[in-house]
Amino acid sequence: MDSLGRRRFLSKAVLGTTAVTVVGASTIGSFAPEAVAGQRPKLDVEPGAPDPNFVDGRVRSLGKGELLVTSADRSMHRIHLTSATSVWKLRPTTADAAKVGDGLYARGVRLPDGTLAADAVWLNIVNLQVHITSIGRTALHLDHHGDRIVGHVVAGTTAAVYNSTPAVSDLSLLQVGKHAQVIGAWRPDTNEVDLATVYAAA
Amino acid sequence: MAQPEQLAPTTAETSWFCCGAAWGPCGSAGGGACGNCRSGSRHCAWPNTSDNCFAITRPDKCGDTLLRRTCGHTFYVQHLCGSTEIAVTIADCGPQTDLWCGEQSCCSGKCASNRLLDLTPSAYSAIGNLSSGIMPVNIRS
Repeated sequence: MDSLGRRRFLSKAVLGTTAVTVVGASTIGSFAPEAVAGQRPKLDVEPGAPDPNFVDGRVRSLGKGELLVTSADRSMHRIHLTSATSVWKLRPTTADAAKVGDGLYARGVRLPDGTLAADAVWLNIVNLQVHITSIGRTALHLDHHGDRIVGHVVAGTTAAVYNSTPAVSDLSLLQVGKHAQVIGAWRPDTNEVDLATVYAAA
Repeated sequence: MAQPEQLAPTTAETSWFCCGAAWGPCGSAGGGACGNCRSGSRHCAWPNTSDNCFAITRPDKCGDTLLRRTCGHTFYVQHLCGSTEIAVTIADCGPQTDLWCGEQSCCSGKCASNRLLDLTPSAYSAIGNLSSGIMPVNIRS
């Protein structure tokens, strides 16, 4: 689907005017951001310019199929979620995982009325370069540029990637004092994150 | 030895970083080394923006000789297995390449080594999934 076609598709999905059923991602293949991003036109945004199809902010209120988000510059954004929207909150999930106060990045298509039809939404996602200061049974204590972060291990979800090898649930090769990269989900208004993936050199 | 120049693309790993006014642990990130970095803009970090920057990132320790590129320089970036190319300008110093020497990211049998570029969430999410944390890319200047 080209850009114009995707815009029309998302617009119709948001407006409920499409005769086409929006089929779930698992049915017709990935709707993950990398899949849809691959269809974007070249240089849709000038280098260094703000991206009109991207929103960074916090969820202010929830509505049926939409999020009202406030950015740090106090601008407001209405974001439409459809069954084709990919949602991540610690793991791939559904739109009902969104809560007031969540941090958010969203990518999609800006509609003529200024709202965003979301291809993908990441809730509370953080990507931290850290040093491991201590390791407990259920948490890692991390130094993030001098700030303390508690990284909670989530059974069945938290994984480690050692030296580019496939992700494993075994965190025993992590070492105190070593650097790591953490993909996780921030617990709003705390210094705590739930750990999704820890990248480390074993 | 990677030497991104016009018409001479190189492959590398890239991750993402937040900057500017933001929520959560990113709240104190600030505007980066160039002062104008924003998560919602098409910006990037480059390991050789200045002598001070290079002294921290040390891509040479991974065998990469990177040209000095300063604030505002434009790179063109494409996922190694993607078709979309984005353009980003340097707004910060980074990543700390020497911490990850030899690390490799692959897609569809194609691989790239060493972290030579970081992208803002806006830029990264235009060609990849933020939850991946790292991806292989082609970079040209």
